[in-house]
Amino acid sequence: MRVQVKAFAGFREILGPDIALELPEGSTLTGLLEGLGRRSPGIQKALFDDQGMPLKSVIIMVNKKRQTRAEFGSRELHDGDEVAIYPPVAGG
Amino acid sequence: MLTDSERERYSRQILLFGEEGQERLKLSKVFIAGVGGLGCPAAAYLAAAGVGHLVIADCDAVDRTNLNRQILHHEADIGRPKVLSAGEKIRSMNPDIEVELLVVTISESNASILVSGCDLVVDALDTFIDRYAINRAAIRNNIPYIHGAVSGFDGHMATIIPGETACLECMVPEAPPRSVFPVVGTTPGLIGVLQAHEAIKQITGQGEPLTNQLVLWDGKASQFTMIRVERDPDCPACGGDSRASGRRREI
Repeated sequence: MRVQVKAFAGFREILGPDIALELPEGSTLTGLLEGLGRRSPGIQKALFDDQGMPLKSVIIMVNKKRQTRAEFGSRELHDGDEVAIYPPVAGG
Repeated sequence: MLTDSERERYSRQILLFGEEGQERLKLSKVFIAGVGGLGCPAAAYLAAAGVGHLVIADCDAVDRTNLNRQILHHEADIGRPKVLSAGEKIRSMNPDIEVELLVVTISESNASILVSGCDLVVDALDTFIDRYAINRAAIRNNIPYIHGAVSGFDGHMATIIPGETACLECMVPEAPPRSVFPVVGTTPGLIGVLQAHEAIKQITGQGEPLTNQLVLWDGKASQFTMIRVERDPDCPACGGDSRASGRRREI
């Protein structure tokens, strides 16, 4: 199946704005994030803390609906899903 | 009741929402937390629109590095308190409104007192810790709260109605790391004006508020994206029994 990853703000700067991923059927959101993290240390650091837990400050959305960290492991992805990743900006 | 001069000044928007809407603006008191990149355009447009009473709070003085984006502050204002610099420009822009200036550091301990009695809060701060304090203060005082934040070419904003919609901590439960952020002036210009726009809608009862969603501005693609967010029943700031208690939880 094919899932689109849309990156915003700081995450867009390290991943690029938009990439398509081929994932095995039954893949979860956790699997997708871990796969992205394996691409580079910079991506890993942008998504996970030192213990390998997804950062709470990063907003992860599937089809424009925010997912809580507790849902990542059980959130199965489907062909055509769009996963958006937004590390919130904080300046004013 | 509007004066003849006010009817003339606001004639183009009275065509939109009538004298009744204009009177609502005149009678409203809006708290602007911070008068930097977001607060300058937000304050300027709210003043121009005729919000009758603006309270502007900021603890900083104008620095030369502010001038690429903080459009109410000019070269001659460097070193002056930002609220004095902004207040002077706003009074010159619209002498009919009341402008209250507070040189104050907004924190958990004073936020609730500061916003008490206001009809709406515009969050133009630059750290999430201070924003969480204002978010909770708005919830405690039941005041609509317009959140905005920027960095670089990117920004986001949201409207929060306490007790009804997702609050800031439902949307962003943990503060992003603090850093000196790069920024081009048009980014806070855009988000700050959008905050003022949502404030005017909220006060005059026009249109639909941008609640339960985070509006992302991707300034490199020049695109807005709306993200649906839901109220978190376990939110330490707005949820159930733990309302504004200060308890944090794992998500």
